[in-house]
Amino acid sequence: MKTHRILHISNHILTANKGADMAALPSSPLSTHVLNTGLGIPAVQIALSLHFVDKSTGNWSLLNTGLTDADGRCPGLISEASFIPGVYKIRFETEQYWKNLGEDCFYPYVEIVFRVTNPFQKLHIPLLLSRFSYCTYRGS
Amino acid sequence: MQTAEDCSPLTTHVLNTGDGVPAARMAVSLHRLDPQMILWSLVSVGTTDVDGRCPGLVTKEAFTPGMYKIRFETGQYWESLGQCCLHPYVEVVFTVVNPDQKLHLPLLFSRFSYSTHSAS
Repeated sequence: MKTHRILHISNHILTANKGADMAALPSSPLSTHVLNTGLGIPAVQIALSLHFVDKSTGNWSLLNTGLTDADGRCPGLISEASFIPGVYKIRFETEQYWKNLGEDCFYPYVEIVFRVTNPFQKLHIPLLLSRFSYCTYRGS
Repeated sequence: MQTAEDCSPLTTHVLNTGDGVPAARMAVSLHRLDPQMILWSLVSVGTTDVDGRCPGLVTKEAFTPGMYKIRFETGQYWESLGQCCLHPYVEVVFTVVNPDQKLHLPLLFSRFSYSTHSAS
């Protein structure tokens, strides 16, 4: 059985993995969804991290880390209280993900940098990923 | 950095899919991660032409195996058109294993989305 199928099925059997460092927060105002377009499946257990930039110094600070679940989602990225206007980035460990599937990948990681102007509006940042391409857009 | 002929082993093509036009006059920069994997160093800067291309990104001699990133100043581009956007800039980080193989990295973008892929 191919490695990616084992990972996909095992995540249905195991209890839902909400990530090592994340509490099960009610509903994060920011969400993501990672899809492996090369294989036509959700990207399961891809490591990701959320960062926020300090406007005065330009330095990034780490807000949260996690792993995508069986659906390629990562609940509880951030709390409503923490979701303030500013510039964020989500970093996806794409090379490690493909390595776990026994493949190489053109992109060692993918960082999507985005601006939040209205923190009361839910923001969905999906990533559609293959070994040699990716795309992202503002979803709902 | 731009030359009449594009002999660069790395090329890009930036397309504004929101308006259906090439993205002209967008600032683009190429960076390489140093072998100690600590800092990014600037390789070149340029501006896209009327076709959304940026000739002369890197010379064959400078294009050694390693990790690179192309940064596209998409936020500035939309600002110059009087529009806001979601992504203040786009950085595409990639690995070069075989520098003898020409690499083409297009960027298709709108105010709220972008996509990229590798073509040779």
